[in-house]
Amino acid sequence: MKVVQVRCPSCDSPIYSKQRDRLFYCDRCNVLHVRDGGVEKIDFEIAEFASEPPGEKVYIPFWRLYCSFVIRSKSVEGEYVFRLASWMRGEDGSGTMFIYVPAADFDTTTFKRLAIDFTVSSPKYNTRLNFGSIRRMPTAMSREEATELADFIIVTMEAEKPGVLQQLDYTLTVNGTKMVYLPFGVGPNGMVPAF
Amino acid sequence: MTGISVGLNCPACGGSITVVEGEDTIACPYCSSTLFIEGDEGVTTVAFRNRTTKQKAVDASRRWWSSGWKARDLRRVGKVTEVYPIYLPFWRATTRIAGWICGYEIRRHTDSKGRVHQQKIPKEVMILNDYQFSEIAADPGDLGIRSLRNFSGETSFADFDMIPTFEATTSRDDAISHARNKALSSARSSARVPRVTMERLHILPRRLSMVYYPVWIVRYDYRDRKYLTTVDGVTGQIISGRAPGDPLFQSLAITAGSSVGGLLAAVGIILSDVAVEMMIAGIGAGVGVLYLTYRFFRHGSEIIDGDFRHKPASMSETVNELRDVARSLQGAYR
Repeated sequence: MKVVQVRCPSCDSPIYSKQRDRLFYCDRCNVLHVRDGGVEKIDFEIAEFASEPPGEKVYIPFWRLYCSFVIRSKSVEGEYVFRLASWMRGEDGSGTMFIYVPAADFDTTTFKRLAIDFTVSSPKYNTRLNFGSIRRMPTAMSREEATELADFIIVTMEAEKPGVLQQLDYTLTVNGTKMVYLPFGVGPNGMVPAF
Repeated sequence: MTGISVGLNCPACGGSITVVEGEDTIACPYCSSTLFIEGDEGVTTVAFRNRTTKQKAVDASRRWWSSGWKARDLRRVGKVTEVYPIYLPFWRATTRIAGWICGYEIRRHTDSKGRVHQQKIPKEVMILNDYQFSEIAADPGDLGIRSLRNFSGETSFADFDMIPTFEATTSRDDAISHARNKALSSARSSARVPRVTMERLHILPRRLSMVYYPVWIVRYDYRDRKYLTTVDGVTGQIISGRAPGDPLFQSLAITAGSSVGGLLAAVGIILSDVAVEMMIAGIGAGVGVLYLTYRFFRHGSEIIDGDFRHKPASMSETVNELRDVARSLQGAYR
C-alpha cells in the first residue's frame, strides 16, 4: 500500500480538500480528474444558481448519461401506463434521453427520488466556470457504477405505480457521460434545487 | 460492524493519518492535502493485532469443553498438548446489488365449504443493498474455519514476525466471483418472489481486501483420541472445535426419544376416529422425534462447532428440514 499526494494532471499543483472525494478538482486551472486505474480528466460542467435558495448553497454531483434505448415489450398487472414512452425523444418504442445518476453518497430513497425527478424532467441551467466559494458534495460513485445504475433507474421509472411490472424487454446503450454539478440549497427542510 | 483502519503517514507533511479499509482517497487532517492510496489491483491488505495470550486461549477452550452435550469428564481427563497462534488470510468483499425482481406468488386457501382457491399475487421488488462477504484465502485443513465473523479490532503488522502466517493460495478473481454469487443469492432470497418473470440485477463490486487474522490453535487429547479447538486471537472467543460426546447422553436420548416418538404416533392413531388429519399429524410428529433422536445418537459421539467440511447438520437445521417436509406433506394432502 502506497500513499501519494494528488496533483493536478494539467498544472501539477497539489490538490487540497477537507473532504474525501473520488474526483479531484484543481481550482487553479479548473480541471477535474479521476484516478480509477490511471489518471483521466473528466468532462464536467457547473450550473449557475438561478435563484437564492434557502439554507446553505451546495453543488451536488450527478453523472449525466446520454442513452439510447429500444423497448420491445412490456407486461403489467393492473392499470397500464407506458411511462418511458412519454419521456424519451423518439418513436415506436425507441429513442434517446438523458439519465441523471446522483453521484454523492445518498440513502436509497433520496437517490431514487433525485434520479427519477431529474431524468423525467431534465434540468435547464446556465453554466459557470468554477465553484467559487460554494461547497460541493463529494462524489462517491464511479462513472462505471453510474452506467450500471442507468438501467436500474429506467426500470425504477417504469415500475412506479399504478400496476405491478411483470416484464420489460429492452436494450439500453450509454452513448456519452458528463459530470454535472447542480446547485441546491440545503436547509432544515431538505434539499431545494436552485437552477 | 465497524471498518478496519490502517495507520500511515502523510507524504506531504508527515502527519499521522488513518486509512479505513477499502477507501482509496483521504484528506490529510493536518495539511488538507488530498491523498490517494495506491494498492495492489485495488486490494487493501490489513492484519489484525493479536490480543489473546496462550493462557487465555487455553481457558476459552476449557470453558467450551464444559458447555453443551460434551463428555462430562472432559475438563478432568482432557489434556492440552499444543497451543500456538497463526495468521490466517481471508478475502473480504463488499458488493452492491441494484435492480428489480418482478414476478408473482400463488396463494392457495380453503373456504368454509372445503373448496381450494388459488390467487395470483403480482410482485415487483426493488433491491438496492450492500452485501458483506468473507472467505478463507487458504486451505484451512482440519481447522473448521471458512469465513470471518469479526471485523472489528486494532490493525497492525507488528505481530507478523512472531506469528507464523498461512500464505494466501486462492485467487482474487475467485473471491470476487464468490462474493458476487453470494450477494446475488442473498438479494434473490430477500426479494421473496417465488415465480420470477423478470430479473434485472446489477452487481457492483465495492471493496476487496485481504485480511490477516490471528487464530490460536489448541490441540488436546481425551482418552487417546486427538481433538482441537480454535480461538479468535482478537476477541478470545471459540471459533471452531471438536470434542468427544457422552455415551450417557446418547443412551438417554435414544430411550426418551423412542418413547416420546412412539407415544405421539400412538396418540395419533387413537385419534384417527376423530379426524384423519390427527392421525397423520400424530404419526408425522412421532417419526420426526424419532429422526431427531437417531441424529443425536448417530452423531453424538463427537460434538462439532464451526465450518468443518464433513460436519453433520445441527439439530436446529434438522428441525428446519423436518418442518419443510411437514409443510410439503401438508400441501400434498390439501
